[in-house]
Amino acid sequence: MGTEGHSVANQRVVENLASKLRRRQVVGSRETALETVLVLRQVVSKARFSNIDQLVEVIRSVGRKLVDAQPKEHTVGNTVRKVLHHIREEYHTATQGTVLASSSKNTLSISRFVLQGQPRKQNALLKTSADAKGTLKENDPDDPDSFARGLKPVLMEAIQDVLDELETVYDNVSKNAKDHIHSDEIILTIGKSATVEAFLKSAAHYRKFTVIVAETAPSYTGHDMAQSLSSAGISTVLVPDSSIYALMSRVNKVILGAHAILANGGMFAITGSLLAASAARAHSTPVVVCTGQFKLTPQWNLYHEYGALDFADPSSVLGFEEGDLVDKVDVVNPYYDYVRPEFVDAFITNDGDHPPSSVYRLMKEAYDDEDHEL
Amino acid sequence: MSQGEPNSSPAQFDVFVTYQSILQNEEISTPLAAILTLTQLIEKSSAGTMFELVQALNDGAEILKQRTPNPISLNAGCELFIAFVTLFPHDSDSFSDLKTELVKQGRNYATEALTYRDKIAALALGFIEDDSVILTHSYSRVVMKTLLRAHERKRISVYVTEARPRGLGLRTYDELTAVGIPCTVVLDSAVSYVMDKVDLVLVGSEAVVESGGLINAVGSNQIAIIAKAANKPFYALAESYKFHRLFPLSQYDLPTHNPNVLSFPPASVSTSLPTKGAVIGSGLQKITPAEGSRSMTQEQVARNPNVDYTRPDLISLVFSDVGSLTPEGVSQYLVGMFAG
Repeated sequence: MGTEGHSVANQRVVENLASKLRRRQVVGSRETALETVLVLRQVVSKARFSNIDQLVEVIRSVGRKLVDAQPKEHTVGNTVRKVLHHIREEYHTATQGTVLASSSKNTLSISRFVLQGQPRKQNALLKTSADAKGTLKENDPDDPDSFARGLKPVLMEAIQDVLDELETVYDNVSKNAKDHIHSDEIILTIGKSATVEAFLKSAAHYRKFTVIVAETAPSYTGHDMAQSLSSAGISTVLVPDSSIYALMSRVNKVILGAHAILANGGMFAITGSLLAASAARAHSTPVVVCTGQFKLTPQWNLYHEYGALDFADPSSVLGFEEGDLVDKVDVVNPYYDYVRPEFVDAFITNDGDHPPSSVYRLMKEAYDDEDHEL
Repeated sequence: MSQGEPNSSPAQFDVFVTYQSILQNEEISTPLAAILTLTQLIEKSSAGTMFELVQALNDGAEILKQRTPNPISLNAGCELFIAFVTLFPHDSDSFSDLKTELVKQGRNYATEALTYRDKIAALALGFIEDDSVILTHSYSRVVMKTLLRAHERKRISVYVTEARPRGLGLRTYDELTAVGIPCTVVLDSAVSYVMDKVDLVLVGSEAVVESGGLINAVGSNQIAIIAKAANKPFYALAESYKFHRLFPLSQYDLPTHNPNVLSFPPASVSTSLPTKGAVIGSGLQKITPAEGSRSMTQEQVARNPNVDYTRPDLISLVFSDVGSLTPEGVSQYLVGMFAG
C-alpha cells in the first residue's frame, strides 16, 4: 500500500539486524530479543497503515525476515509474537465499544463455549486508552493515516512494555532466589547463563552456599562463571564436566540456564546440560531452570535429534594444529542439548515458578495462536 | 402442565430412534449424534419455559443413556449441549425464537464439528516424522484420517492391534492397505513385543476426562503403559466434544463398569472345564471361525470391559481441534466450560 515511501528506511534497519544475526554478531537469547524489539519499534513508528491487518502484516514480514536470518535464535520469533500479541491487545482495548461490542453479543456458539476453557491472561490491565476511543476509524477513505495516528501512541507503549520486561528480566527472576536456595546447600550449574548468575548472586546476599561449576567444554564458559561467582564472594568449585556424575550425590540442587523453552516443557540449553540433568535424575536431585519468559518458544520440539541442534566451530574440539587427524575424523561441536521435560522439575521465570507441564499454558497466554507460524 | 413431557414425547418423538438414525451416517460420532438428537428434541418440544426445556433435554439425555450399553461419549455430547443451552443468553423476543436459535446453533456446530478431524489430522501431522513406524489400536476415524493424511506426504508404516473381541483392527488394516500404507495386524498380546520397533503410538478416544486421562477401547491402557516403559510417545486424538466431565480414579469408576464385568461365574462343569469337548458339549460355542481354533464364548466376552481408562501421566499429548494439549490442558478446558 502506502508503505513504499518508508519501507526503504525500515528495510535498512531490518536488513542490518538480519545480517548481524546471520553473521552471529548478535548472539544470546536476551541480546537478540532486545535488538528485535528495537527494530520493531522503529518499524512500527514509521509504518503506514490504515487498518490493523496491514500493521500485523508489516510486523510479520519483518519477523519472517529476521527469523529466516537465524532460525536457531528462537527469541527473535518469540519477541515478534509477543509484540504482535500486545499490539492486538491494545487494538482491542482501543476499539472496544465500537467493533467488539456489536459482534460479541450474539456470537456465543457451541465452539465458542468450548473455548471458554482456553488459557488467557485474565488481568488484561485496562490501560489509559479511553482518550483514543471514538477517534479510531479503520480504512478511513478521506484520511488513511488517521488510524495509524490514533493508534501509534498506544502501540509505542505496548512495545515499551515488552522492552521493559526484557530489561528487568534478571531482577525479576532472581527476586525470589533466597526462597529457592537454602543455607549450606551445594548447587551445581553448568555454562555461563546470565540469568543463573544473577540468581545465584542475589541469593548470596541472604545465604551462604557453595556452587560447583562445571567447566563446560569446549566453550569453557564455566570458567568465566566460576570467576564471576567467586568474585561476588560465593564459595565456588570449578570441576571438569566428566566429574558431574561422581559429584552429583553431594549436590542438593542443579540450576540450569536455558536457550529456548519449548511448548512441551523441554528446553534447549548449553551442551552438558543434558548430562547434568540426567545425572541429577539418577540421584533424584531436583533440577530447576532459571529463565525469562521471553524464551518461551511455541513449538513442540518434535525431533530432538542431534542434527536439530546448533553446531559451533569444531576447532575448539580439534584444532588445525592436529593436522594429521583433521582429515581423518569428523568433528562436531553441538552448542545446545535438548533436555526433555521429564528432567526438569521447575522453571523459575520472571513471572512465577512453573512446572514443565504448564509451560504450554504460559505460551497460550503470551502469544496469539495465529502467530505460531510467522 | 407439560409435566407429562417425558412420557408423552417418546410417543411423538423417540429420541433413541432418532439417535440411531443419525448414527447411520458414518461420519457422525456418538457425541455429535447426541447433540443433533437433542437439537431435534428442542425443535419438537412444546416446552414454554427454559426450565421445562432443560428438563426435557435432561430427560432425553437420560433415555439415550439408559438405552445405550456404553454411554460415555454420548454423555459428553449431551452434557456439552445442555450446559450450552443453560448458558445461552436470552435475548430473543419470544421463547420460540430462542428455541429456533438454539436449534440453529446445534446444527451449525454439528457441521462445523465435521471439520475437526481434518484440523486434528493437520496438527498431528507435524509429529509424524518421515519413515515413522506407528502403532495404533482398534479403529478410529480420526486416527484413520491422520494416517491417510500422513501417507500423502511421508512414508509411514503402521502396526495395528487386532483389538479383540470386536476385531476392529482388521478394518483399520483393510482401509490402510487399500491405499498402500504398509500395515501389519498384531495380536493384542504382542504389543510389548512390537513396541521396540515403534516410533509413536496414536490412539483415538471415546472421551478425555477431567483428570486428563483417556477413555478408549479396551487395551489402550496397556499400550500406554508399555509405551511409557519403552519411552515412546503416546498421543491421543480427541475432538473437543469428547472432553467429558468425569473423574475416574480407577478402571472400576467408569460408568460402563457393572457387577457382571470381571465377575466369577458360578462354578459348573460346563463353563469351568476348558476342554474343547466340554465347550462344544455345552452348546455355547456357536461361532467357530476355523476348526480347531478356540475363541471365547459370548458369555465370557460379556464378562469383559469394552473400554478402559488410561492415566494422564501415561499420555504425552492430546491433539484436539482446540490445539495440542497436555493432559492438564484438557482439564483446564473442562473447568473453563463447566465451572466458568
